[in-house]
Parts: sequence; C-alpha cells; structure tokens
Amino acid sequence: MFDFLIHVLIMCCLYSMLALSLNLQVGFGGLMNFGQIALFGCGAYGAALAYKYDLGFASGILIAVGLSAFVSWAFAGIGRNLQSDYWGIATLALAEVVRIIVTNEGWLTGGAQGISGIKPLLPELSGRSQQLGNLAICGAVLLVALLACMRLTRSRYGLGLKLMREEPQLAQSVGYDIMSLKRGCMIFSGFIAAAAGFIFAHYITFVGPDQMFSSETFLIWAMIVIGGLGNHFGAVFGAFLLQFIFAFIPFVKDMLGLPTEFVAAMRLVLIGGGLIGFILWRRTGLFPEKVGGRADG
Amino acid sequence: MFQFVVDVALRACDLMLIAVGMSAVYSLMKFPNIALAQYAAMGAFLAIVLQRAGLPLVPSSIVAVLIVGVVAVLLNRVLFERMLAIGSSTAMIGSLAVSMVISAIFLVIIGPSPARFNLEITRPLRVLGARITEHQVLSLGITAAAISVFAILLFKTDLGRCMRATATNNLLADATGIDTRKTKTAVVAISACLAALGGIIITMKGEVNIQTGLDLLLPVFSAAILGGLGNPLGAVGGAIVIAMAETLITNVNFGPILGQDLVFLPAAYATAGSFVILVLTLLWRPRGLFISEVKRV
Repeated sequence: MFDFLIHVLIMCCLYSMLALSLNLQVGFGGLMNFGQIALFGCGAYGAALAYKYDLGFASGILIAVGLSAFVSWAFAGIGRNLQSDYWGIATLALAEVVRIIVTNEGWLTGGAQGISGIKPLLPELSGRSQQLGNLAICGAVLLVALLACMRLTRSRYGLGLKLMREEPQLAQSVGYDIMSLKRGCMIFSGFIAAAAGFIFAHYITFVGPDQMFSSETFLIWAMIVIGGLGNHFGAVFGAFLLQFIFAFIPFVKDMLGLPTEFVAAMRLVLIGGGLIGFILWRRTGLFPEKVGGRADG
Repeated sequence: MFQFVVDVALRACDLMLIAVGMSAVYSLMKFPNIALAQYAAMGAFLAIVLQRAGLPLVPSSIVAVLIVGVVAVLLNRVLFERMLAIGSSTAMIGSLAVSMVISAIFLVIIGPSPARFNLEITRPLRVLGARITEHQVLSLGITAAAISVFAILLFKTDLGRCMRATATNNLLADATGIDTRKTKTAVVAISACLAALGGIIITMKGEVNIQTGLDLLLPVFSAAILGGLGNPLGAVGGAIVIAMAETLITNVNFGPILGQDLVFLPAAYATAGSFVILVLTLLWRPRGLFISEVKRV
C-alpha cells in the first residue's frame, strides 16, 4: 500500500508539471492548446531515443529540449491569425499527426511496440529507496517548475501574457509583439511538459505511442479547469486531486463488485462532468486567479 | 481507376453528412461543437439497440435519428446556451466534456466491443470493374438524398431563409422579427439528425464502437473547415477533397520518386494526411476553399 501511495504521488508530481505548463498557456496566455500531450511525448521520446541509440543521459535531455522547442514553435506558428477555438482544433490535429508519425516510423521510434528497458533515474538504488529517490526528484523538479512559473507570471513578461489574453489588440498597441509572446510562452511551457515526459520515461522505463492519446490532454484540461485557470497552486492542486481520485476508483470498483468497464467510464464521467460542472457553476475553479494589487498567485 | 472513384465517394459519404451538420450548427451557434461527432455514434448505437429489440432497420433508424435530434436540443438548452454566454472557446471545451460523458455512457451500456447491424451479407456487384456492395450503393443514395433535402430546406423554404439570415447577422435578423432562438433550435436538431444519419450509414458498411465518434472528429473538422465553417454546402466539397486526399495517400505508389519499385505509405497516414490538410487550410485559407459569408476565423 505504501509503495502504491508513492507511485501515486510521483504521478501527481508529473501531472502537476503538465498542468502547470498548460495553465501557463491557457490560464495566463489564453492559448487554447489541445495538443499538450505532444509536448509530453517530446520529453518521453527524448529519453527513449537517447537510450535506444546509446547516446547517454545528457544528450537525452538535449533531444527532449530540441524536440519540444520545435513542436512548441510549430504550435505557436500556426496560431498566427487564428482565433482561439480554431487554434485549438489545429493543435489537436498536430498532436494526432505527431502520434501517427511516432506509431508508423518504427525504424526510429520502435513503432507501436515503443521503446522499453530505459534505465531508471537512480540505477544504483533498488526497491523502495529507489522509489523514494524518484519521488524526491519529481518533487524537486515540480518545485523548481512552480517557482519558475510564479516568477515568470509576476514579471513584466507575465503581465504581457495576461494582457495578450484579455486584449490582444491593446497589447499590440502598447508595444508587445504578440507573436514573440506566444512563441515564448509555448516554448517555456513546452520545456516544463517535456521535463515531465523525460522523468516519466525514466520512471516507467517504457515509452510508447499509447501514452500520447488526446484523452490525456483532456485530462490535463480538466485538472486546470477544476483547480482554477490562471492560478499555479490551483493547477497543482487539480492534478493531485484528480490523480488521487483516479487511483482509488479501482478500489471502489472492487468493493462494489462492478465490471472493469466501470473504471474507464468513471474516469470519463469525472473528467467530463468535472469540466461541465466547474464551467457552469464555479468558473473560477477551486483557486480563483488573483486579480489586481500585487499579483503573486 | 473507377475503383478509385468509388473509394473516394464512399469515404466522402462517411464524412459528408456529419461535416454538413457541423458547418450548419457552426453558422448559427458560432462554436465548433465537438459533441456532434458523438451524436453520429449515438445514432448508430440507438439504431442497433432498436433493431435488436425487434424493429426493422428502417423504422429503427428513423426513431434513432429523431431521438438524437431531441437529445441535441435538450443538451443545447441546458448546457451549450449557457456556456456560449461565457464564450465560444468555453462552449467548445464544454462540448468536449459532453462528448466524454457520452463515451462513458456508451462504455457502460454497450461495452467496449464493436457493434453492428444485423444485415444480410451480399455478394459485391461489379460496376465498370469496381467492386461495390448493395449496402454501399444504398449509403451513397441516402447521403445524396439527405444532402438534397437539406439544400432545398436551406434555399427554398422559410426556415432556410431564417437560418441564412440569422447566420449572416443575428441582431438584424432579430430586429426583422425572426425568432432567432427558434431558428437556432431547429438548426441544432437538423444538424444532430444529419450527424446521426451519417453514423448509421457508416455502421451499415461496417461497425461502430466507442472510439468511432472521436475517430471521426478530426476528419470531419477538416472537411467542414475546408468547405468554410458556417457554409454547409461547402462541407460537401470539403468532404470530397479530404476523401480524395486520404485515398490518394494510401493508393499512390511513391516508388518511382524514391527510385524503388514499390513504396506505399502505411494506411494510418491516410488520417494524418487529412489533419495536415486541415492545418494547411488554417494557415493559408482559414475561411475555406469557397467564397462564403464567414466573417470570423
């Protein structure tokens, strides 16, 4: 039970990073990214490719950073003249294209079988101490990401992002370059998402295209809408909340003796119902964005 | 060669009705309704359930289509109208959430395995060297008939005039005494019925499972955006272009270009092709291939 709890906590930390990253795009920049999982995949495949071709840990980070910067840049680039909902559809399509390419170019990525046997982050430890080490690493990276996000949104750059979300034309008129704001926001948040993917690959020791389904993106969306758009703590809290609920659905299923479909259905109902409920009745989420005064949310 | 035409026509008729519905509902409600792709799967599932309950195919299809229309109107009244008051992007996320809840309902009631109609299996006919089954001919006929009825409705009746007026200028339409809310309700019902019919036609040629709706989503979006979202008959052209591209990608031998005998792309790239077309359209012709009255992109 204790080991399971540590596993859940590690997944919470990883999803928190993804939620922080998406929250920076959606909550602060107003960029409706529906392809978030592709950025996660960049990090995961960075680790996996470095392992497959024996390039070592450091070049894995380089591949992850390079891939995620390229994909984020492409996402920002197609959004030039589009309104947010159109852009959302385009990012959804691009993320699917990335997944299809990864599935079919087996010579490079191992295809649908994926790449397995990736070295863990702390190979010298084993068993429970390794798990605790993984948790410590995830927690530390999450903390760094959280502090970086908070610093970024408190800065003048963060104010620019918010202005772009609220009044893009006003932002332009006072001298902000909308395109470079978008690009910067996507690339920075892309790094956070890629970091989550990179650690995930080393933790699970397996990377495959099945981890890149759009349904994961929708899950991250639910986390930030429930936690509160435009609030970093909200994003982290939303990720922990949903991950914990999901982790305990199978136990409820066993307790009530329900069929296996119940778990998948319950997840969908929680994500969908959570989104609908919070949009209709508590649009600010559990932790509303702090507006005015010294914004330090 | 004629087989190619048949393949394109069949794929186009898979997408056409749903894309026309998507475009029609967008022209009035001004948000891309993701749940529409699920209405297609819902129509097919309902028709199958009714057929299993003992109704013949035609009445069960008609009843299923009508039920989906009613469900769409209810969802629109209860959820989408309120979400639209917040913003079109919010309504899009809401429609995504609704489609996830619908998936969960399918999973619980019907289960994860695919379902199909109880139809006689017939020998394929040979027309000009192309193989085509009776069900496929029938599906082409139904699609053509449904599109024609919709076009007559849109261009020759009072309701159609109201629809076009409301789509062009909602405020002005209101001022001239058109009941725009009623018109919108009618369009929501009609588009859901078209989508449900589209789903039933797809299932007549094969099967339906809980993934069908989400798998249809992006090709349908591609067709609708290519035709110019909000220009329903443009979606017919969009569907044909997408179907042609998908069929070409899998049927063309790229060998001569690459200096080898036979090089075919994997079949999965067919969908990737349509997503790439979607992204390219959004980049260069976000208003679609055809001249239309779409003002907002």
